[in-house]
Amino acid sequence: MATTPVSIAEWLGYATAPLWLQIVLAAVVSGVVVTVMLTTSALAGPWAKRKITAMFTDRIAINRNGPAGIFTIAADAVRLMSKELIIPDGADRPAFDIAPAVLPLSALLGFAVIPMGSGLQLADPEIGLVYVFAVSSIASVGMVVGGYASGNKYSLLGSMRSVAESIAYEIPLVITAASVVLLAGTLRLSDIVAAQQGTLVSLGPIAIPAWYGFLNPFALALFLVASLAEVGRNPFDIGEAPTEIVGGYITEYSSIYFVLFFLGEFLHIFLSAAVLTTLFLGGPAGPGPAWLGIVWFGVKIWAVFLFTQWCRAAVPRVRIDQMLEIGWKGLLVLSFANLVLTAIIVGVIA
Amino acid sequence: MSSDHPRDDIIDTTAPQTKTREDRMSEVDSRFNSTLREAFGSTPFVLTKFDAFMDWVRGSSMFMLQFGIACCSIEMMHTYAVKHDLDRFGSGVPRASPRQADVMIVPGTIVSKFAPRMKRVYDQMPEPKFVVNMGSCSTSGGPFQQGYNVVKGAEEVIPVDIHIPGCPPRPEALVYGIAKLQERVKNGETSPVTVKPYELEQFGDLEKDELVEKLADDIDEETLVMRYNWADSP
Amino acid sequence: MSKTEEPAEDAEPEATEPVGAVDYDALEALLGDAVVRRESHLNAEAFVVRADRVQDALSTLKVEAGFDHLSNVSAQEYHDRFESIYHLKKYDDPTQEVSVVVPTPRDDPVSQSAEPVFRTADWHEREAYDLVGIDYDEHPDLRRILLPETWQGHPLGRDYNQDKPQIVEFEENVNPLADDHRESDTMLVNIGPHHPATHGVLHLETVLDGETVLDVEPDIGYLHRCEEQMAQSGTYRHQIMPYPDRWDYGSAGILNEWAYARVAEDLNDIEVPEYAQVVRTMSAELCRIAAHLLALGTFCLDIYGDFTAIFMYAMRDREVVQNILEELTGQRMMFNYLRLGGVVWDLPESREEFFEMVREFLAELPSRVDEYHDLITENELFQLRTVGTGVLDAETAKQYGVTGPVARASGIDYDLRRDDPYGYYEHLDWDVITDDGGDNYSRLLVRMREVEQSARIIQQCVDLLEEWPEDEREIQANVPRTLNPEPDAEVYRAVEGAKGELGIYIRSDGTDKPARFKIRSPCFSNLQALPEMARGEYVPDLVATLGSLDIILGEVDR
Repeated sequence: MATTPVSIAEWLGYATAPLWLQIVLAAVVSGVVVTVMLTTSALAGPWAKRKITAMFTDRIAINRNGPAGIFTIAADAVRLMSKELIIPDGADRPAFDIAPAVLPLSALLGFAVIPMGSGLQLADPEIGLVYVFAVSSIASVGMVVGGYASGNKYSLLGSMRSVAESIAYEIPLVITAASVVLLAGTLRLSDIVAAQQGTLVSLGPIAIPAWYGFLNPFALALFLVASLAEVGRNPFDIGEAPTEIVGGYITEYSSIYFVLFFLGEFLHIFLSAAVLTTLFLGGPAGPGPAWLGIVWFGVKIWAVFLFTQWCRAAVPRVRIDQMLEIGWKGLLVLSFANLVLTAIIVGVIA
Repeated sequence: MSSDHPRDDIIDTTAPQTKTREDRMSEVDSRFNSTLREAFGSTPFVLTKFDAFMDWVRGSSMFMLQFGIACCSIEMMHTYAVKHDLDRFGSGVPRASPRQADVMIVPGTIVSKFAPRMKRVYDQMPEPKFVVNMGSCSTSGGPFQQGYNVVKGAEEVIPVDIHIPGCPPRPEALVYGIAKLQERVKNGETSPVTVKPYELEQFGDLEKDELVEKLADDIDEETLVMRYNWADSP
Repeated sequence: MSKTEEPAEDAEPEATEPVGAVDYDALEALLGDAVVRRESHLNAEAFVVRADRVQDALSTLKVEAGFDHLSNVSAQEYHDRFESIYHLKKYDDPTQEVSVVVPTPRDDPVSQSAEPVFRTADWHEREAYDLVGIDYDEHPDLRRILLPETWQGHPLGRDYNQDKPQIVEFEENVNPLADDHRESDTMLVNIGPHHPATHGVLHLETVLDGETVLDVEPDIGYLHRCEEQMAQSGTYRHQIMPYPDRWDYGSAGILNEWAYARVAEDLNDIEVPEYAQVVRTMSAELCRIAAHLLALGTFCLDIYGDFTAIFMYAMRDREVVQNILEELTGQRMMFNYLRLGGVVWDLPESREEFFEMVREFLAELPSRVDEYHDLITENELFQLRTVGTGVLDAETAKQYGVTGPVARASGIDYDLRRDDPYGYYEHLDWDVITDDGGDNYSRLLVRMREVEQSARIIQQCVDLLEEWPEDEREIQANVPRTLNPEPDAEVYRAVEGAKGELGIYIRSDGTDKPARFKIRSPCFSNLQALPEMARGEYVPDLVATLGSLDIILGEVDR
């Protein structure tokens, strides 16, 4: 990424670009690249979801319009955006209009600090990890505002459930991440990735990398479960729960607002997959030259996405009280135990 | 009493009633005028290409309303499911909320109590929206047409694009019907939207006749009602 | 034939002589002066009881004579009077029946309500009020049930004019956020009539406190398509049979057809050839498998959300059953296969291929069932969701006249196929499945086990049919072209449908059409028990409980 702003600056007529221009161009270009990449990925999400679910259920799913129905992605997106935008009478504006933008916004902000490999990382602040959790939890504001502003009882129930869920699982999520921070000794995401570069053990020709997922699989499992709840996927998809509360907080949203919510949800799945990859799966690390990093990163987050879809196809949904019980009485305790144990082990060894 | 003649206490007249049919054929109007379409104004060349593209878009991808009424909904579920897999055609995603649906399949008998609710669900769907009538009941009342409570087809209440005959239609027939709908939408063909015989009205707006007088104490002036003129039904 | 709990000898003598087992003279003496006179119905004796002594009579019969199952309430209008008929049975032995007839004058049709004695009478009497126009004194909540509140007239009454216009309300519901909730924290949520969890068009008026269900009231009638009127305007021989297919449309068509076939055959004294009985038994059990698989699939749809793997697998297996049934009957769902006195045609040619098809399905089934057990019943999250939720105890179930898998999952050992034998069931070897849990999990388990039992029955039928001598394959008894049963013959008969006791009451008037055709729908009674099961549960459990009741709205509303 580093060379691009310079070459653009050359093309603009500067032999050596002034520093401010370099910075602005770098930000704009990489921002655009990352956003486009992510949005495409998120738009492909629903399509992938349909194909993956079909595989789990002995079906084919979309196969018209291009190979494996790939052009349906475009058709879906354009059609949804071109639909009539219905604002219900009882809607509380402008809250009703603001809420849909909050979700994708918070997810995209989160991606700013994720090291995606091949030198693609928009910013690398020292408190990267804290920043990711901070911005991604803004999403619950969007859910609660959207649910309340719709003036629909199902939306209200859905938003209340989502918020209860976010609060219950945010803490175990952060605590589990903190155990990684203990191991890595830093909050900077690029450093956490760098800390996982070595080899854990060599079993003959196979070298198992020192990813924290291998080092502490227990933490990985905790983080994965908490992430599922955080993004509201089975068994924790109670916020939308179509067979119970129709569509939860998105019940009343149509057209472009619905697209934004939909996009936001998929971006959030990808974001939590990205954080999980960064913390536990060595980030963009993988065999082959370093520029392949982005590919490995993509493979890893899609693998996590696949896992969420697998759960969706095969795991029942828990009830709200059970969800809270699992969160507060199970995961919270386990994540603290994990933190303390890690602290002891790190303290003893280091 | 012979079986070919309806009993007197069930139906007084069997003369054909054409009033609703005439209503149905008048005042044709296009349903494709979405806000986006209006925003582009009437720039000829761009617009024809744009129209063609939009028709393709709408014909290639459709979200269905998850909407089961009666027997046909079982076959509809089979159409979504393994063997027939409606999703192959890009139209197998059922949405529970009408706000996010494009196509409403009406799979069953419409009765007097349900028709106003169905009308409301239809109204809640965003334009452009399409309706597929599945089975004889939603086409004409089917085997229950003579019933005191049965609306003689969904088209008495909402506009319908495709009728699929059968009781119930096989999943293959439903797939064919959806494919036909997609073909029509891709070709930019629209169905006429006309005044329906049964609409939701405010009770206060109804003509004051014997029945309205009788109910005046029970129903608020502003309550929405649907008035069934059974004798006029085709 | 074997039983799970009682030794087989107990039921045998009663089964052979059904009516003789009840001492009607003793009952009459027991009822005392409440009885005006006695009538003879084809299924049981009936006591005509004074309209102000209904509760007395019914509670005497219930408490002292042990008739603890109010199976059905039929109401009808004669030219000179209204009449409500309470069909009573015993859960222990449904062949012991008695009817209580309550006549009321046409100009003042007021009759005492049976609701304080049998809870299930609540809905049944509301229906009688709605469709026929009988007023029930002391009824807690006598409103219309199937038709809209604003309906004019009673459509099954004699002087109803169907061409008169009607007005139906569509009331907007109040936005909860607009209300002032400082005094009460409850919220009314309308689940349905269009809602993904209602399996059709059912409206649940649910009062919530947070996520807890304080009260739920099912509002039905969104699919009331006049099945009884349709049957009353059709001829016995041909025109009625297609309609039963559309009551319980969850592929249980032949089971429903059998209900009509059984009652009409009793009414007209038709003997069905043995071969046809075996074919009927086989096809009916195939239907039961299809219906239970649908119940399983949609129940999992409620628990899992979205169209997930189990739903799809259930549909996949249903396709196989439907293919077999299509091969046999020519239709995937609306079979119209049974005829009075037999079935419409013999097994398809070539018989070997057909048997092979059925055998292949039966051979596959155990592995399929194992797969379901792996995916569903052994899943811990699933157990977390279903065990101990939506509990219905046996006593409450009996109060509400609950039957079928729902009753058997509450520990009530009641299956008409065994207790009131018809068809070929008594000659076959199978078990009645019961479970004591009474919760959502038990109901699912009972259905899954019943699928296995049905497979056993089919297996035996196939074996029998394969060896049946070619010249003895009689599929139809000799039935006259037009059936004109005796005037004023009355009969109530039930069979074990997919959801429970599916009964039909017919009164003939000497013509070729029934004068009154009343359907006793198992779903109607089962659904009535929903509030008992759902109160105090969470919304998701309300949805799951509704799913595990496995109601089909076509049968609830008729």
